[in-house]
Formats: sequence, structure tokens, C-alpha cells
Amino acid sequence: MSDHPTPQSSSADPALHAVEPKGSDASSAPASNPAQQRQRAIHLAQAVRHELQKAVIGQNTVIDDVLTALIGGGHVLLEGVPGLGKTLLVRALARCFGGEFARIQFTPDLMPSDVTGHAVYDMQSEQFKLRKGPLFTNLLLADEINRAPAKTQAALLEAMQERQVTLEGRALPVPQPFMVLATQNPIEQEGTYPLPEAELDRFMLKLRMDYPQAEQELEMVRQVTRSTRSDMLDVQPLRTLMQAKDVQALQRIANELPMDEQVLDYAVRLARATRTWPGLALGAGPRASIALVRGGRARALLRGGEFVIPDDIKGCALAVLRHRVRLSPELDIEGMSVDQVLKQLLDQVPAPRQ
Amino acid sequence: MRLTEARVAIRPRNPWEAVDLGVLLARQHRRLLMTSWAIVTLPIFALLTVLLWDYPSAAVLLFWWLKPAYERLPLLILSQALFGAAPSLKEALKAWPRALKPQLLASLTWRRFSLSRSFNLPVQQLEGLDGLLRAQRIALLGQRNLRVVRCLTSMGSTLEMCFWIGLMLLFYALIPQQVELDWSWRSLLEIESGWNWLEHLTNAFYALVLIVWEPIYVSCGFALYLNRRTTLEGWDIELAFRRLRQRLVGSAYALLLGVSLVFSFSPSTAMADDTVDESNYSCPLPPLDLPQTEEQLAAPGTARLLSQPLNSEASQSAIKAVLDSPPFKNPKAVSGWRLSDQKRDAKTAKNGDTSQWLTRLVLILLNIGKTLSSVFEALLWTAIALAVAWVTWRYRGWFGTFVSRDTRKPQVRRDAPRQLFGLQVDIESLPDDVASAAEKLWPEAPREALSLLYRALLNRLLTDYQLPLKNADTEGQVLERVAALNQPPLHDFSRELTRHWQNLAYGHQLPASEVQNDLCEGWRRLFTRGAAT
Repeated sequence: MSDHPTPQSSSADPALHAVEPKGSDASSAPASNPAQQRQRAIHLAQAVRHELQKAVIGQNTVIDDVLTALIGGGHVLLEGVPGLGKTLLVRALARCFGGEFARIQFTPDLMPSDVTGHAVYDMQSEQFKLRKGPLFTNLLLADEINRAPAKTQAALLEAMQERQVTLEGRALPVPQPFMVLATQNPIEQEGTYPLPEAELDRFMLKLRMDYPQAEQELEMVRQVTRSTRSDMLDVQPLRTLMQAKDVQALQRIANELPMDEQVLDYAVRLARATRTWPGLALGAGPRASIALVRGGRARALLRGGEFVIPDDIKGCALAVLRHRVRLSPELDIEGMSVDQVLKQLLDQVPAPRQ
Repeated sequence: MRLTEARVAIRPRNPWEAVDLGVLLARQHRRLLMTSWAIVTLPIFALLTVLLWDYPSAAVLLFWWLKPAYERLPLLILSQALFGAAPSLKEALKAWPRALKPQLLASLTWRRFSLSRSFNLPVQQLEGLDGLLRAQRIALLGQRNLRVVRCLTSMGSTLEMCFWIGLMLLFYALIPQQVELDWSWRSLLEIESGWNWLEHLTNAFYALVLIVWEPIYVSCGFALYLNRRTTLEGWDIELAFRRLRQRLVGSAYALLLGVSLVFSFSPSTAMADDTVDESNYSCPLPPLDLPQTEEQLAAPGTARLLSQPLNSEASQSAIKAVLDSPPFKNPKAVSGWRLSDQKRDAKTAKNGDTSQWLTRLVLILLNIGKTLSSVFEALLWTAIALAVAWVTWRYRGWFGTFVSRDTRKPQVRRDAPRQLFGLQVDIESLPDDVASAAEKLWPEAPREALSLLYRALLNRLLTDYQLPLKNADTEGQVLERVAALNQPPLHDFSRELTRHWQNLAYGHQLPASEVQNDLCEGWRRLFTRGAAT
């Protein structure tokens, strides 16, 4: 049901320590020049991206978005048909990231306590002992999250928003950084439980994985068939590039990126536009504005920029908004998708200029 | 035709009731009507089908076109059945060719599309009228009920279509699915050949529909015709009188006999019996004129005058000819307002001289009116000419698009947005020499200078390169569009300018001083020289 955290850092190749200190320096030396720190953070982020692109071929935008969520401190819901490498991507990210990684395979009989943990009576000490669930980790892969009933899904709510889990009346903090990567399958409707809005809203981004381009697929097939492990995609050769504190440092640096008022205003206008947009029955809440700004900052860092520009906001707007709005029934009947309507919206909301 | 032998109650009816009567009539003789119709039409249909095997539509059209010819047969049967015994099938079929002959061409050509066909058919077939007489008769009969007759025909055609389509659907519903699938495959594979039989089959459905409906239609038209004649000629009154006579004929003879007996046995003195003695009167009546007057004795037509060498007829015609020739008659066409002769005669007879001047006044007024009318006509034509001229002038540009010899296209005025991203990008808001203006602005307000350059770039992209920039486009998207133009110098310059602009606008970083030169030079290189050459 759940993988236990694998000690990634111990298996890290010693040759990688040349890269690793960059991030470590960035986080451990706050006194040094902020610009230098930023440069290092940018290098680190780009190195991770490069590493992930080696493992997951043909999904560069999804990799960027996952990294955006990681740097923005949000959670990701990955949607895609089977076999596109959703789980592989998460495993690769866990491999590059030296923190703890846990995986929960959501099944219809999964109980909330299987996720959060529970108290066990210890015969020797004659006491109840808390047994922490797989939730207490840095990187949590919630595989096929829509297979579990709503009560089990709800077990994630507190951890995702408050970064804490209440067990036996005690609020236990989850380790930082904490990121949930949930995957779900859009075509299988049999035996699935759609995620409730409150849960969806807590995901910073909802990503759609699509089929890779022809030449990228070719490359992928070539690479996989060369591997000895038949159809299992190999993530072993990836280098561990960063530790938990590096991620926190990246998050801090991203949050410190300067952001012009106009850009902030643009993010808020985008989120607000969804509430009055004629094709949308339900608009996005304030969490969407916050996620847009965080996402914009993270993307600016990934881009290597020193400040946030409207392109950063616009680039992550689709992923931020698509699971927070509901299409009006007329457009639904007409066969319009949420993405189409949101693209229209993005084409209409004026971009900021000074 | 003897009214007393009519098989229906003859009384004036509501036209719709008459149609109902027609349906009942057809129902009563349904077997004969339908059998005879089928015997006549089905062979014709078969013949047409064989002849026009490759043209199923033409076959059914021709069959439909010949309908008036077949319609004579049910009418023949009905007319005989109504006033006497219904003919047998053989008699009816024998009589049909004779009924077919008169006015067949007219029925099949210019009367084919008459909506009152069923109503007019009895006039030509039963009354045997033709030409002017027929037209007058139809005009008289058709003064009323014509609306119902037309309704009948149009509803009839609708019913035919309904039945026809219904039969086709029934047929389709009865085809087993396997067969139908097979058919649709075959129709998919071989597009034109081998499907005529199916079309002829549907045509046959039409022929079947006609067997049921057409006798009813003829019968309804006939009933309407009878009803109209009943009203016009008072058949019901005639019948009532006849019944009265039948009822009273015995007693009337007895009464007559009795009365004559009574009168014969009562003698009376008559004044005429007394002989008048004329001599008793002082002033006797003059003798009655001779029965033969002089006029009668020497009339131009008497035999005595006709037998002479120059007889009266010849002289009469000679005199008439002389009188018709010029000295006596000068026919000349004169147009103008006049009172009609009758009126004038009556007036003169009544009022004599006093009305003469009145008449003249009226005539003068009328003639003035005529002159005025021609003046108004001229005025109206002028007005129309002026209106046409005005319209032509008013819409000359629009007409010009059709008839203009000026091949030079009018300048396309794209509705370029005046304001983009909150910046004034229209040409009026920009100075003529952007680079110099930016250079001048740079020392005091580098932000305004960069803004000016960026605005000018957007303006150039909108106007010169016709890029469809929108308000929602971010700087990155603008750059993508520029890259799509595939003009490396422009793209490089745009990228550089956008970078500096973003640094300033969002990063609040002032550009270095040498950037000014680069950008202004770049601008001049791209646009000023391009415009000059």
C-alpha cells in the first residue's frame, strides 16, 4: 500500500557533490550576496530540470510545471491516460531530491488511518504508541487518488493545507518541504470517486500529461528498449541534486523575487475574471490568485529571471485555474473543454503594461 | 337526366356537405369505381414503366400528367349511377373511349393545372360545352364554392403524397434488416445501376394510391357541381312541385271535372251575346283600320319589289355604301373627355339650353385636367430621374466597386487598436522621429524614452507588419509573433528592446547608458532607413 521512504541521499553519487554544494551554499549562506544566491538557485533548478528531462522524455512542460509546484510550495494533481510516465516522473523527482519519499497506492478500501497513521497499543510498555502513516514524508506520491472514497481523500486535506496532521488529538507537523503529487486517470470512470472541490482547490496545479511528440517517443523507445529491465523505466542513474533544505531555500529565494504591482494585479485580475466569465459556472477562489503569484515566482526562477514578468503568470495560469473552475452546462453540452474556455479567457484579459 | 330518379336527396347543401356527399357516393360505388380505375390505369402505368425503364421519374410524371384522362371514367360511371342504374364494368369501359375524345388536348395541356379540375369536368363531359359557352357556364357555376373546389384539389394532392409516402414507409418497414443492409451495401458499391426497379416500385405505390383516392376526388367534384346546379336551377323546388303534382294529379282531374260540370249547368246571360245596334248611337265608331297597311303592301321585302331589275336590296346596299364613304362619314380618332351620348341626350332632353353651358364647362374642366395630368406626368418622371441621379451620387463609392475602371485598390484601413497594453500606440501619439525623441528624453527620463521606443515598436508591428496583436498578449507572446515573421534583425532588436523594457518595468532596473545608443541606432537602422528607401 505504501512505500517506505528510501534513503536517497546515501545512494548519491559522490561525483555529484560538485553540483550539490551550490544549492547548499545558496541556502546556508544567507549573508552572501542575494544576487549570487539567486544565480545559484537558478543553476540548481535548471540542473534538476535537466536531470528530470533525462528520465522523463517528451514531457518538458509537465516537468517545468512540477518544478514550479515544488518551488512554489504547492501540490500537484497529474492527470493523464495510463502509460505516459506520471509515476515515473514522480519517482524521478524523488530520486533527484534527497528528501524522504513515500508512495500510497489509493484503493477503494483504503482507510484514512492508513494514510495519516494511528495509535497502536504496545504490550511491553503498556502504552499507546503513535504510528505515523506514510503522510509524514517530504514527497508523497498519491497514486490513482480518485480510486479511494472521499473520506480517505479527506485525510489529505489537513496535511496539504495546514502542513500538519492531527492524530489522537495531537497536531503533528509534517516534514518540510511537503509536497503531494497525486495522479489520476481521466478515462476510467468505473469505480472511481471524483475529487471534491475542496480537495481540488488545495492542489496548486493540475497538470495534463499528453502523448509525447513523435521524435521524442522514438528517442524514449530507443532508450527504454536498451535497458535491461524490460519495460520498467529506469531512474537509478539519476543524480541526487538537492536536499530538503535546498528545496526550502529555493522556495525562499523564489518568494523573494521582486514582483511589480502590475504583475500582481494581472494575477488577481485573471483569477477574478473566472468568476464573471460567461462560460464558467463556478469561478476560482482567492487560493487561485495566491497560486498564480507563487507559480509565477517559481517560473521566473526556473526561467532564470530576476523578477516576475506577466509571461510567468500567464504560463502557469492554465494549470492553476483548470481544476478550480466549473464549465457552464451549455458549454459542457456543446463539447467545449475547460482548457478551451480558459484559453479564451487568457486571450481576453489584458496583459499589464506600464 | 331525370331528377325524380336521382339516388340522392337533392337539396341545397353547404359545399363541405356536398364534398361529404361525394365521398359517400364514391363509397357506394367503390367496387365499380376502383376496379374500372385499376383496369384502365394499371396497364397504362405498366406500359409507361416498360417504355421509360431508364427514367423512372419521367414515367411517374407522365402517369401523373395523364390523370385528367382517367378521371373521365369515374365521372361517367357516377353520372349514370346517380340518375338511374349504375353501368356494368364492361359498359363503363366501353363508353370510356367515347368520353375520352372531346377536348382531351385541352384537358391535358392548359387545363391540366386548373385547381377546379374536378368541378369543371362535368361541364365539358356531361353538358358537352366548349369554347365560349363553356367559359360562361363555368363562370356562372364558379361564382360560389370555387374556394372549396380549390381546397379539395390541394388537399387531394396532399393526401396523395401522404398515402404515397406512407406506403413507401410501410414497404421499408417490412424489409428484413439483413436485406436492407445488403441493399445499402450494394447501393454504396454500385452507385447507379440496378436500382430502377426500386424506383418503379415506389412509382407503383403512387398508382395504387390513385386507385383509392382518385374516384373519391372525382366524386367530390361531381357532388359539388350537382350542389351548385341544385342551387342555381332550383332542383329541389322543381322536385317539390313534381311531388305535389304526383300527389294531387288524381284529385285535380276530379276537381276539374266537377267544376266544369257545375259551370256547364248554370246558364247566364252574357253582355256579348247582345247584338249592338250601331245605328242607335249618334256618333258611330270609325271603321277599324284595314289589317293590311300600305307599309305592308309596299315593304322592301315584298315579292313585287324583289323581282324588278333594280331591286330594293341592291339599292339599299348601294345607298349604304355611298353613305359610308367620305363625304358623309370622316372617321377620325380624337381623344379627350366627353360626356357619353346617352347622358348628353338625356340632359338636353331634360334641361335644354341651360345644361349646354354646364356640359361645356365640365368638358373644359376635364380637358384642363388632362393637360394637368400630362404636366404631372412630366414632373413625376423628372422626380424619378432626379432620385436616381441622387442615389447614384450618394452611393457612388459602392457602385464604383462594381463598375469602376480604377483598378487601384483603396487603402485598406485596418482598425488598428489605438491603445494596447495601456499604452498609446496610435501613430498620432508618436513623434515623427522616434529615435531622436528617445535620445532627447533619455537623460531626464529614461523610462519614458524606453516606453516611447517600445510603443513605437508595437505601432510598427501593428501597422507595417500587420501583426494581430491583442490586448491580452504579453511581451513574450509579442516576441513569439515577431519570431514567426522570420526577420532576424527585427527579432534581435525586438528581443533586446523587450528585455530592457521588462527590466525597467517589472524589475525596476535602469538600463545602462550605452543601451540608449544601441537601441536608437537599432531603431534607425530598422525603420528610418527602411522608410527612406
